[in-house]
Amino acid sequence: MNVLVVDDEGIVLESCRKVLEAEGLDVISANSADEALLIFEKTLPGLLLIDLKMPVHDGIYLMKELKNRNIDTPAIVMSGYSTEETIKEADSMGACRFLPKPFTPDELVEAVRQVLKGENQ
Amino acid sequence: MFHSTRLKFIFTFLCVSFLAGGISLFIGARLLYDAVLREATNQTRLALNAAEDVYHTNVRFVDLALNITTLGMGFRNSFIERDVPDLVDRLERMAKNADLDFTGIALSDGRILCRIGGESLADSVNPPDNPIVRLVLDKGASLSGTLVVSRSFLENEAPDRAGQIQLYPFNMAGPDAAGVESQEACMAIAAAIPIFEYRTTGKLLGVLYGGRLLNQSTEIVDSAQKSVFFDEIQPETTMPTATIFFDTVRIATNMIDPQGNRAIGTRVSDEVKQQVIIRGKEWTERGEDLSDQYISAFMPIADIFGKRVGMLSVAIPESNYSGVQQELIVIFIAVTFLGALISIGMGFFAARRIMAPVLRLIKASREVSEGNVAPDIGPISKDKEMAILQKTFRDMVESMQRRRMASQSKIIQSEKQASVGRLAAGVAHEINNPLTGVLTYTHMLLRRTDIDDDIRSDLKVIVQSTERVRKIVKGLLDFSRQTKLDPEPTDINRLMDATIKLVENQALLKGVGVHFEPGDSLPMIVLDRSQIESVFLNMILNALDATNPSDEIRITSSSALSANDIGHQGVEVTIADNGCGMPPEHLNQIFEPFFSTKDVGKGTGLGLSVSLGIVKEHGGNIRVQSELGKGTTFFIWLPIDREGDAHERAGSR
Repeated sequence: MNVLVVDDEGIVLESCRKVLEAEGLDVISANSADEALLIFEKTLPGLLLIDLKMPVHDGIYLMKELKNRNIDTPAIVMSGYSTEETIKEADSMGACRFLPKPFTPDELVEAVRQVLKGENQ
Repeated sequence: MFHSTRLKFIFTFLCVSFLAGGISLFIGARLLYDAVLREATNQTRLALNAAEDVYHTNVRFVDLALNITTLGMGFRNSFIERDVPDLVDRLERMAKNADLDFTGIALSDGRILCRIGGESLADSVNPPDNPIVRLVLDKGASLSGTLVVSRSFLENEAPDRAGQIQLYPFNMAGPDAAGVESQEACMAIAAAIPIFEYRTTGKLLGVLYGGRLLNQSTEIVDSAQKSVFFDEIQPETTMPTATIFFDTVRIATNMIDPQGNRAIGTRVSDEVKQQVIIRGKEWTERGEDLSDQYISAFMPIADIFGKRVGMLSVAIPESNYSGVQQELIVIFIAVTFLGALISIGMGFFAARRIMAPVLRLIKASREVSEGNVAPDIGPISKDKEMAILQKTFRDMVESMQRRRMASQSKIIQSEKQASVGRLAAGVAHEINNPLTGVLTYTHMLLRRTDIDDDIRSDLKVIVQSTERVRKIVKGLLDFSRQTKLDPEPTDINRLMDATIKLVENQALLKGVGVHFEPGDSLPMIVLDRSQIESVFLNMILNALDATNPSDEIRITSSSALSANDIGHQGVEVTIADNGCGMPPEHLNQIFEPFFSTKDVGKGTGLGLSVSLGIVKEHGGNIRVQSELGKGTTFFIWLPIDREGDAHERAGSR
């Protein structure tokens, strides 16, 4: 199973890769929304892990773009801080879960499991 | 503003002085007029006395002429010897010298011995009626005075004059005598001297009589006019005139009628006759007489029998006095105007003095509206009312200042909160990313089985410390969120009323009207009152800054659907001003933090971004329309069911 992690912070990308690969998932990294869109076409991941606040195009933009392309791949939205507004917007864009930063490996794994479980049902 | 107040002052002074001037002018003119009129009346009376003198002098002259003739050498002899030609010659000479119209000598039985201009009738059986002769024969003493003579007398005594002279009907028996027909007559002055046997004693032998006809005569009236009337050379029309009346008819006058002739034959009013001829009084009247306004004085003329048969009158044209009068009135008006001018000047000065503290207050209030919070209002006036005004103004500025500080501190408070929130957000975002890395890597290390217990316990310290950092950051975020919303159901209109109260004084001092048209039956909205209040306050203060005196700020509230969230019920508040407006390029920037067009130090630039933040927190939005030079309108939309929304999400989270 492919997981596409999108974040402009390398340390976050690396952290996620480390945790999720330990769980046996394939992790693909993208450090911007635009790169994520390119990679998505090629890899068709089963799960998205999207940071909300990124330069140039943010997470909301990415989710809108995916929605516009009729892609309903489950997505977990993560953010160091966001207003209720952005959370609400992410919700309306179809985010399955909101994962506040910083998170521990256990929390990340739990969030991914829950989403995948919900998806399988 | 103060111009009109000062004008009012001056206008009042003007009114008062003109009123006072007008009244004194009126009264003064009246008094002057009366005084001049009194003076004129007195003058007329004096003139009448002088005219009377002239009249009597003429009578005495006739008397004198006759006396001289009787005393003339040879007269008595000629009379006694009945030397008629000599006597006629003497009479003719006397008549010529003394300007007599008739003269003659009667015998003691009344028959006429001789007379000028007529045949001797000494032998006639029925002596003609010659009243003066009869009277002298009766009394035996000389007589002189006024005489009314009938047509028949004239035809006998002065046949050549009888045809020339205008006669008037006259009741010889008396003005009121009944049953006696009036006959044509004329008036004369005449004298008669008795001729005695010896010079002045002895038997009465005859009478020398003579007289002058007054009808159409000019001598008396003209000499009266000349003697009476000063030395001033006056134009003909303003010459005073003298008149002899026979009954009420002018028979000798120098009054000129409109055709330029002597006004002979005209009559005076019955009132004058009543007063003068019938009651025998002197009489003065003002009136129009033959086209001119005259002051006339009349006195009765009695004939030798003591009967009032005519009048002597003097008339002075009023125009003689109206010149003086006009001059006086002009002086009077000039004095009044001068007085008015002086009082205007004093009024102006007084107005300045009275207005000075008011002007200071006006200047101070301008300064206040321009931002000076401690304006100089000058020393407190000694004037009680002014002192109250000044103190009230001072208190008002102080309390306004307190209120302004209060509203300012409210804004500062909410801006501080927003800054903390922003800072927390920024810090959280920046810290949480690396913190994620730290947590992940330490946890991953802890999962490894090939590490020493020492290292494991060290790693646990790192994990614990990192968790602590995480909690601190979370606490910070929670704090900034927690302080943000304290929602309760609120009536937007009441909240707006309360907000407007905070800025009322400022708006008043700046001269900007704030009008609020609250919408009817608006739904209650759940919101944080103090935060939304600071949004409103911030918007109204911005509008105040953008307006000039006499501009307006119009605020409305109404039920409205959200513009970009279709079907969402809410309330829209608009805050519109007709102030300076904004250029289009600013419209996109105004909600950005730290964007400001105000002078450095005046605005923080956080106001609108914070306001937008607060409104967005409430699930609403702010729109703006602005045109440079025409004004700006802010639309603040707030949803009704924000609270329900929030609860829903809180449950799902």
